[in-house]
Amino acid sequence: MAKRSKISDIRAKHTIIALLILFLILTGRLFSLQVVSHSYYRQISENNSIRMVPIAAPRGFIKDRNGKPLVTNRALYTISYLPYMSDAKFRHIDYLADLIGVDRQLLEEKLNAPIRNRYEPIKLVRGVDFGVICKIEENSEKIPGIIYQTEITRQYPADGYGSHLFGYVGEISDAELRKRDPNIYKSGCIIGIGGLEEEYDKVLRGRDGVEYLEVAASGKILGRSPYRESVPPQVGSELILNIDWKTQCVAESLLSGYIGGAAVAIDPSNGEVIAFVSKPNFDNNAFAGVISEELWASVANDTTHPLLNRACVGTYPPGSIFKPITAAAALESDSVSINDKFQPCYGSMRFGNRIFKCWKPSGHGRLDMLGAIIQSCDIYFYQVGKIIGLDVWAKYSKGCGFGERTDLDYPSESSGLSPSREYLDRKYGAGDWSRLLILNLAIGQGELLVTPLQMAVFYSALANGGTVYKPRLVNKIISPDGEIFKTKTEVLRSLPFSASTISFLVKALTAVVEDPAGTGAAARIPSITVAGKTGTAQNPHGLEHSWFCCFAPVEDPKIAVAIIAENAGHGSAHAAPIAREIVKAYLSSIGVL
Amino acid sequence: MKSIFSIDPLIFVPALLLSVIGIIGIYSTGFNTEIAFYKGMYVKQIYWLIMGLILFFTMMVIPLRFHEIFAYIYYLIAIIMLAGVLWFGTAGGAKAMRWFSIGVFNLQPAEFAKIALVFAIARFLAHYKGKFPSTPGVIVVLALGLIPFGLVVKQPDLGTALVFGVITMFLLYWAGLNSFHLFLFISPTISMIAAFNPIPLAIFIFLLVVSLLIARTDLKVSVGVIIINILFGILTPVLWNKLHDYQKLRILTFLDPGRDPRGAGYQIIQSKIAIGAGGLFGKGIGMGTQTKLAYLPTQHTDFIFSVIGEEFGFLGAVIIILLFTILLIRGITIAAKTRKGFLGLVAGGFVAIIAFQVLVNIGMTVGLMPVTGLPLPFVSYGGTSMIAFWVIVGILTAINRDWRSY
Repeated sequence: MAKRSKISDIRAKHTIIALLILFLILTGRLFSLQVVSHSYYRQISENNSIRMVPIAAPRGFIKDRNGKPLVTNRALYTISYLPYMSDAKFRHIDYLADLIGVDRQLLEEKLNAPIRNRYEPIKLVRGVDFGVICKIEENSEKIPGIIYQTEITRQYPADGYGSHLFGYVGEISDAELRKRDPNIYKSGCIIGIGGLEEEYDKVLRGRDGVEYLEVAASGKILGRSPYRESVPPQVGSELILNIDWKTQCVAESLLSGYIGGAAVAIDPSNGEVIAFVSKPNFDNNAFAGVISEELWASVANDTTHPLLNRACVGTYPPGSIFKPITAAAALESDSVSINDKFQPCYGSMRFGNRIFKCWKPSGHGRLDMLGAIIQSCDIYFYQVGKIIGLDVWAKYSKGCGFGERTDLDYPSESSGLSPSREYLDRKYGAGDWSRLLILNLAIGQGELLVTPLQMAVFYSALANGGTVYKPRLVNKIISPDGEIFKTKTEVLRSLPFSASTISFLVKALTAVVEDPAGTGAAARIPSITVAGKTGTAQNPHGLEHSWFCCFAPVEDPKIAVAIIAENAGHGSAHAAPIAREIVKAYLSSIGVL
Repeated sequence: MKSIFSIDPLIFVPALLLSVIGIIGIYSTGFNTEIAFYKGMYVKQIYWLIMGLILFFTMMVIPLRFHEIFAYIYYLIAIIMLAGVLWFGTAGGAKAMRWFSIGVFNLQPAEFAKIALVFAIARFLAHYKGKFPSTPGVIVVLALGLIPFGLVVKQPDLGTALVFGVITMFLLYWAGLNSFHLFLFISPTISMIAAFNPIPLAIFIFLLVVSLLIARTDLKVSVGVIIINILFGILTPVLWNKLHDYQKLRILTFLDPGRDPRGAGYQIIQSKIAIGAGGLFGKGIGMGTQTKLAYLPTQHTDFIFSVIGEEFGFLGAVIIILLFTILLIRGITIAAKTRKGFLGLVAGGFVAIIAFQVLVNIGMTVGLMPVTGLPLPFVSYGGTSMIAFWVIVGILTAINRDWRSY
């Protein structure tokens, strides 16, 4: 008996100790889970049950200088299927295909794809008309599980007007996503692609909101999470452009008749861009919706390259509109005076062992500089070029800003090409190029390439007496709470020409339009003095490009314009009349005419 | 002295508090947005508690001598019921035959078989009046335990079956079995676990031989032990292949919960998340997202502790462990002071049942034990379990009151 009870007591003690140790282990484990690793598990538990759904912020509107809304927002409807709302497999494919007018096979494919989560909508068709949505709504009982969702997308002006100016919006690509700030840009978000939509994406896009939804283990969404406050989206800022839409539309419609073309109009007093046109346009409304494969193929394979912005990315030989630069270079370097007359023009002239032709086969006879500009005589400028030489010409061409981007507030821009000795040496080998290259450069041909924007900027500077302003598309940004941020007028440089040279050029360019012998007579506007220069750029790929650059009124310039109509022929016949209409439209819009 | 109201507060209060906390936990599962059938389940549990309390007081009226007299009859009835459930039972979870359906009441005979086994072994060992039985006596005890163990394994319910093993082993220990001999009894189990890899098995067998030599064990016994161990080591891989897939999965999942997070490991992972997310003070009643949004499986029964961990935090979990500690230490003290063999052994057996189920259930919810489906005493939803544990504490209380006069 005694022995038995003793054993029992020791064993009781051991049992209690063992029990306490085991319970202590459990308590330790609980402490580690609930206190030490609490935040880790709370995070997982939240990830378990809370799904973050971004709410896209509406993008800010884009308006013209008079406050006319140009780019606004519209609803884009998507038809989806929610598997859990229909108990069996969806049985009404034919009916649905008929109702929304899409291919039966396409629907079938999407409906038969493996379902990952019965509570997640499967997108069937994106970007359907409002009429289709009405039909879906009316017949909802016959098609259980079919729902529609609304997204916001962009509404651009009709006919693709301003398509290059605005760009479009679309889902961010993976490559793009990696380059950008991950705090702002999330996978699947909508970004601006090209144009102002891209350049000003950060201000236009606003701030996306977030909705926190509570999700059960089955995947069913139970509604807003009671534990996390949703963040409402914040609408984007508004852009007020310098563009005058009336002027833009005149340019758009007049250039429509050509295979390709561009027009840039600038206020010479500050660099504000009044019109910014590239032809042909593309349909940015279609791009902002759902880009179908056919649409993409038709644009990508279009030989007229509608996606190319000819106003500042397209580069062209300028032809005669470049002659004022050659003339000014000659005057500034003191190698030629305005009264110098060289060999008369007989339609062609031999330099070295090559014959160089004037655009007028019958010739212009003997001309001074004024006459040569008015009549755009090539033979005169060949001789000026030969006298001043490549280096002087290249120095002044570069001094005017050619071969460099203008720094426009636009995501893409070409620098063009202003050939220099270094460039030619690099391209052909040191000194291994013809000395006669300068003759072609002097008349704006050869390897010289410019953008219409560069020409407009140069003629603006001529108009205002020599100040080169940075061109600006956007005038001000207005935040949703009314804060206004105005873009500043910036001076890029001064033209490397003296005041007397500039006033001579203005006089000459005025005569081009106003003189009976001038090539720019088509740009004449009664009661307004217009100064301008025609250009006919030879083009190895086809008919000549027709150029015209001008500004008006000469006494107090309000607008400078550069226009190119591709493969149109002589500048005097095609580009000049369009320029006239653009100038008229703008001057009447600001009350000068 | 004989009043049914002379209840021991150190037994009764923890048991009642645990039952109430369990009901609150089950009430909380009623907020589940996904599974409507949890709603109102706490009301049923209140009924079970009332029934449990009635049986608690009934046990205090029944003379303890009665149990000793009827111990083998209880055992026989329990074995017949366990066998019967195999033939006529209703399928519960995981296709296991565990229940009798009697009207709305699903009876789980295994719960009562545990009590019956304790009585049977206690009565048998009490014959020896404090002297520890010789080898044939031990073999009888092992046989008593093995019969219900085998029948429940067949259901199949490995977790509950293990309870019978634990009762048997603990009562042998409690009755005074030499610790080294106890180790020899348990050694085949260790061989089984080691058998998954030949190297640990070889090391274990070697250690076994060395310890047998040091203890100067009888040669015949030594050879027998070693042969049995080697046999278990060899047979285990064969037996493993005989296990049900879900049982294999549970063991594998216990070893590595991350191996299949959407499948079998899901339960353990979600339970750990629930408990961890609860933090120090918990999220509050009905606020636990793991519970409410049905991420937590079988939350009213096996994983009720995870619900409490999520909604009442570390504080609530520790309170539960403390209540069990008080109850169990009190039970051990009762078992130790009742010097007459039968009552001491009965109390010891009951303590073993409660302690084992608490350790396995809570250990499972925190990822320290495999998923077994053993309910948490007093706390988990379930009529049979609730009633059985109140019967157990009723008898414990009666023993505490009457042991002097037994």
